[in-house]
Amino acid sequence: MSLCRVRSRLVVVAFAAVLVVALTGCTGAKSTSGGSGGAETYKVGAILSLTGSYAALGSSEKNALELEVKRINDAGGVNGKQIELIIEDDGTDEAKAVAAASKLINQDNVIVILGATGTGQSMAARSEIDRAGIPEISMAGGTAITSNFDPLVFQTPWANTLVVPYVLQKVAADGHKNIAVISDSGGYGKDGKAVIVAAAPKSGLQIVSDQTFNPGDTDFSAQLTKVKSSGADAIVLWTAGKEGASIVRGVSDLGVKMPMYGGSGQARSEFAQGAGPAAEGFIFGTGKSLVPTNWGADSEEFKIVDGFSERYEAAYGQTPDIFAGHAFDALTILEDALKRSGGDTNAKALTSAVEGTRGLVGFGGAFTFSPTDHNGLTAEDLALYQVTAGTWTPVK
Amino acid sequence: MALSDLLQFTIAGLKSGAIYALLALGFTIVFAATGAINFAQGEFFMLGGMIGVWLTRLGLPLPVAVLGAVALTAAIGAIFEVLAIRPIADGDPLRIIMVTIGGSVLLRQIALHVFGPDEVPLAAFSPGASIMVAGAAIERQTVWIWAITALAVGALFVLYRKTMFGRAMRATALRRDAARLVGVDTGMMVTVSFALAAGLGALAGLAVAPLTQTAFDVGAGIGVKGFAAAILGGLGNPVAAVGGGLVLGLLESMTAGYINPLYKDAVALVVLLGVLFVRPQGLFGGSGREKV
Amino acid sequence: MRSKALRIAGPLIAAVIVAVLPFVVADRFLLKVFTYAGLNVLVVAGLALLFGYAGQVSLGHAAFVGLGAYTCAILTTTLHVAWPLAFLAAGCVAALGGLLLALPSLRLKGHYLAMATLGFGELMTLAFVETVPLTHGVDGFTGIPLPTIGAITLRAPAELYWLVWGIAGVALFLAGNMVSLRPGRTMRAMHGSELGAAACGVDLVGVKVRAFVVSAALAGLSGALYASVIGFISPSVFTLAASVSFLAMAVIGGSGSLAGPVAAAIVLTLVQYLDALVPGISRETAQVVQAYEADVYGLAIVLIVLFAPGGIGSLFRRRSREGERA
Repeated sequence: MSLCRVRSRLVVVAFAAVLVVALTGCTGAKSTSGGSGGAETYKVGAILSLTGSYAALGSSEKNALELEVKRINDAGGVNGKQIELIIEDDGTDEAKAVAAASKLINQDNVIVILGATGTGQSMAARSEIDRAGIPEISMAGGTAITSNFDPLVFQTPWANTLVVPYVLQKVAADGHKNIAVISDSGGYGKDGKAVIVAAAPKSGLQIVSDQTFNPGDTDFSAQLTKVKSSGADAIVLWTAGKEGASIVRGVSDLGVKMPMYGGSGQARSEFAQGAGPAAEGFIFGTGKSLVPTNWGADSEEFKIVDGFSERYEAAYGQTPDIFAGHAFDALTILEDALKRSGGDTNAKALTSAVEGTRGLVGFGGAFTFSPTDHNGLTAEDLALYQVTAGTWTPVK
Repeated sequence: MALSDLLQFTIAGLKSGAIYALLALGFTIVFAATGAINFAQGEFFMLGGMIGVWLTRLGLPLPVAVLGAVALTAAIGAIFEVLAIRPIADGDPLRIIMVTIGGSVLLRQIALHVFGPDEVPLAAFSPGASIMVAGAAIERQTVWIWAITALAVGALFVLYRKTMFGRAMRATALRRDAARLVGVDTGMMVTVSFALAAGLGALAGLAVAPLTQTAFDVGAGIGVKGFAAAILGGLGNPVAAVGGGLVLGLLESMTAGYINPLYKDAVALVVLLGVLFVRPQGLFGGSGREKV
Repeated sequence: MRSKALRIAGPLIAAVIVAVLPFVVADRFLLKVFTYAGLNVLVVAGLALLFGYAGQVSLGHAAFVGLGAYTCAILTTTLHVAWPLAFLAAGCVAALGGLLLALPSLRLKGHYLAMATLGFGELMTLAFVETVPLTHGVDGFTGIPLPTIGAITLRAPAELYWLVWGIAGVALFLAGNMVSLRPGRTMRAMHGSELGAAACGVDLVGVKVRAFVVSAALAGLSGALYASVIGFISPSVFTLAASVSFLAMAVIGGSGSLAGPVAAAIVLTLVQYLDALVPGISRETAQVVQAYEADVYGLAIVLIVLFAPGGIGSLFRRRSREGERA
């Protein structure tokens, strides 16, 4: 019967095609151990959220990485070798982050992974990092990234354990007692909320309403209505995604008259502009470098941050946000570690070199890692800001 | 305090309910004309908002952008029908479903490539503070949503019951071959149905975009909810569709308010499965299928 | 008869090629890609039975994959159950899910059934997200152990490849038998005309339910393998988009055949990793291909339904077989 013949023929053809492709694909066996890197370049992998909830953060990071890699390479590279930057998009999704890590490690043989943009994604990629044994320098602010200790994982932002108590102190200092917490159920929000719950009593605050939303939600009227009738005097918002602007607008639309506080997740122009007049007076805590003059014009920090800011603005026409800064730090730390390790890209050597970072000045502040501290920053590196007219000004 | 909460939840429920009603109407119109479910309905919702934002970015004033977006989306719906549905309109409804599934993926991807992956905001139709009623706030955009929905439903009613054109559409929905016999251009009626459904979806998308922002991927989620609303009311009956939409909106809002906001999205799905398994004709549908 | 020899030769040659591949392909990552293809083939084999033969549209098949994946993950990680047992349990749980979906859906016709499967799939995704103590929610389930059979842990890419393709091969063999024997004929009869089939004494209910249960079980087994091979699962893997792509593979492959959907599954999986496959292709080109992958799915579905309802395979068949029109 012709049907069967054609069908079998199809199967054979299909598999033959697959075999042919496989044969062409395997010319030259690729190295199988992660961490050996290319002979002439340092292969640096980056997992960034270029789409999804954290797309704005990821694209800032991409800009910063590409800008700085080009600068380093144009100046002769590190130890005379060029840096080859390979970026994968994780779509703000944990599973894709794991796939991206797998690809970077197994296909591209990178010596280190910068990223991910988000806390959940950084945590998820750990399984691949641990299997391969190469270091990861994360640009996400979740506490768990370094408190849930992994010798291979480092972090450049100001972690929630630093920022939360700093902000809560301000809330208490402004005379508030009862707070409503609004956070998202994703990695960073959940992490932040846990820290808030632990730190609130120490600042003399009581949580009278605890509301969560899912990343991607667009309607918060249920949560906000409950906040309104909870008897809170202030709202603490902990999220880094695009929902922040909608929530703040919702607070204003529903006639909820409470001052609002937040963290690094609101240090974004999309937030200040997207929320419009509703964000007026919003106070958030993040690093001093958001407004570099905080450091004092003569300090080394100011020179480095300002220098980066000028380069970024020249290349992209806008001032860099903190996420670009975190990426800048990740690369700076890596460059410094490579110099100190003398170009030894063996995974253990590189990890030790990163851990040996002492007083390295970057966007986040002065980084000092140790075998127990892979975050490297302190509360000295933080400052408070207030949103006014679509932008922010430092608060005393 | 509890009463103002209840009022607030009710307002929120009627707000999303009106959106679901518009989408449910879209499903109903296409179902009546073709006997099949248009999986791309959610994408028309998305296209309305996205095209509207794009037109405002081109510099058009908001009212022009809104009307333009509705018209353009309706046109896209019509083109989609002519290209992909008409060749198989008389055949197996399963094929129509598959085509609309493929079509919805295509529309979504085209929107992604043209408009990018980011969320975009649309300006509120009329700026200003919310209206406070008994301790609950009604956003101005919510009033617009209600007005637009009422207008659309009213206009459809007039179209279907009072005009010759409407009669022709009803005839096509009831018995296509008989309609053809009396000279109705049934092919054109089906095209118009798709255009109407697309226009309604676009209206819904535009009306709610100022509140929720819009992006290329909002179609699938809202489509499922709109269909749940349609089937809750009873597929085939436009009044039932509107009723189903409002009921679904209220159910969601009460669940979010009194049980857990994180379960809100589950409500539509539970309703969908419940209706399909237990009472496929919906709340208001009769024992037979009533067509438009 | 010549065709009979070919009927045995075709799959045999294919089996040999599949078995020999790891010796030919040295690249670890490429071997992983072929393993992913095998995982998809397992799911699509079941879907081919359900959609291609029995004519039931399932828009929620990724939920069954997820059920299997989480069952296996929970059993092996939290409860330390032996892998082979967890693997079979995954299939059973998914099969149960299929049964629970199929039974109330009996009366539902084409589009209503499609919608019910869609609703079911979305509900399962929500369940995966919300049942945090079991599934760890959006954080995902990490640290899933590699497959162990007795004392042997399968670790090397080649070993995992053979495990996945071995199971896929067995599944295809059983499905092939099902198709050429009475169950297959009754499925096709039901697909062709429910009224006619019923008139001939076909138990429509039984056929529908069996088709659902078998396809769900296969999907569940694939999910368990996925979890063990990759080591990490999260709800975002088992979404509507995944269900649509599985369905696309079945549609493009064509109804009335197993080979078509299998080939479609392999090709469509490989296309996602084009730059790994063909070294001459630059990263940028590969990214462009990936960006347009979903467009191709959508367009292919539309074109196939309009012009070649029997799938790609039907284009090669002679026109005179009107029984093959979907």
